[in-house]
Amino acid sequence: MGHAYVPEIAVDRDGKEHEVQGWQDDIYGAKLGFWLFMFTEVLMFGAMFLALTYYFSLHHEDFLIASSSLNRVLGGTNTVVLLFSALTMGLGLLKMRHGDIKGAKLMIWATILLACVFLGIKAVEWTAEYNHGIFLGLDALQAGNEHSKPFGQILFFGMYFTMTGIHGFHIILGIGIMLWLLKRINAGKVTPEHHILHFNIALYWDLVHLIWVFVFPYYYMIGAGLTGGAH
Amino acid sequence: MENTNYKAEQAGYYKVLIGLLVLTAITFVQPGLFLEHYTFSAQMIIGTIKAWLILMYYMHLKGEKEIITFGIFSLFIVLVFFVIVIGFDVANFQYTDLSHITSGDTAAAVSETHGAAHSEPVHH
Repeated sequence: MGHAYVPEIAVDRDGKEHEVQGWQDDIYGAKLGFWLFMFTEVLMFGAMFLALTYYFSLHHEDFLIASSSLNRVLGGTNTVVLLFSALTMGLGLLKMRHGDIKGAKLMIWATILLACVFLGIKAVEWTAEYNHGIFLGLDALQAGNEHSKPFGQILFFGMYFTMTGIHGFHIILGIGIMLWLLKRINAGKVTPEHHILHFNIALYWDLVHLIWVFVFPYYYMIGAGLTGGAH
Repeated sequence: MENTNYKAEQAGYYKVLIGLLVLTAITFVQPGLFLEHYTFSAQMIIGTIKAWLILMYYMHLKGEKEIITFGIFSLFIVLVFFVIVIGFDVANFQYTDLSHITSGDTAAAVSETHGAAHSEPVHH
């Protein structure tokens, strides 16, 4: 029992009816759909930030001490790197919309390069923390042994590695989808007239930047007033 | 005309970049310069202003009423679920000795029991 074919009708601004041949050019639908996906990201990170706030209220001093021990120079450098990467991504989209495909591709490559710099700095930071015995699974972050840190600090570092790790995973995903975008541009599937994929990937990158805007002060800056941290 | 739009939009991107760089610099100097005893609140306010700039200009939300409304609704839903989950946590654990996650006193006791409350900062 098949269904009879019923054409879908769209109405243009002048009130004329047209039979819909496909939804590839439905820019508003594509944008709204991608925002729906991004809200799921906001739900996930939002829940983690709220949990962090709750535990901060319970273990105030421990959180400040742990925060003061993080390297603010590396964290701050990464903040600026992400800021410039958001600019290159935005300028790339602008160039694409105005027909400068070569310039758009150059900006996407610049964004990928900055994303790799971000990951490199993060790797240096995590390695230094590992060498100081601070990492998930090591004794300092396990309760009940002679090297254990106070429980509030265990919570802080546990959430720090989890959230910066998930954020880093999003950066890696971003690099992957930007490479895919370049492939689609080279194949002529993304053009100045059909650039919604580019638009949505730029939105994704801005979301990754947006999350870091709160990750950085929450982990690196709240304990900046205390002495003893690496500055 | 097309070229004028391009130049105007490009200038907009650079203006927002300068604003974000200035706010990032303020983020760095704030703990030693002003509101020293309210660092957390000050940092979150600066972060919120940065987020607003990114959302409105880099993410093109200016004028997108439907998406903004949906966003606020989603954040409200997160808050409701969070309050419910934390409500269970507080009701079951916070005022008992069962949890060393929610009880600062019990956490201290756990640390003392194992004789290990090291809190040296990580120096890079």
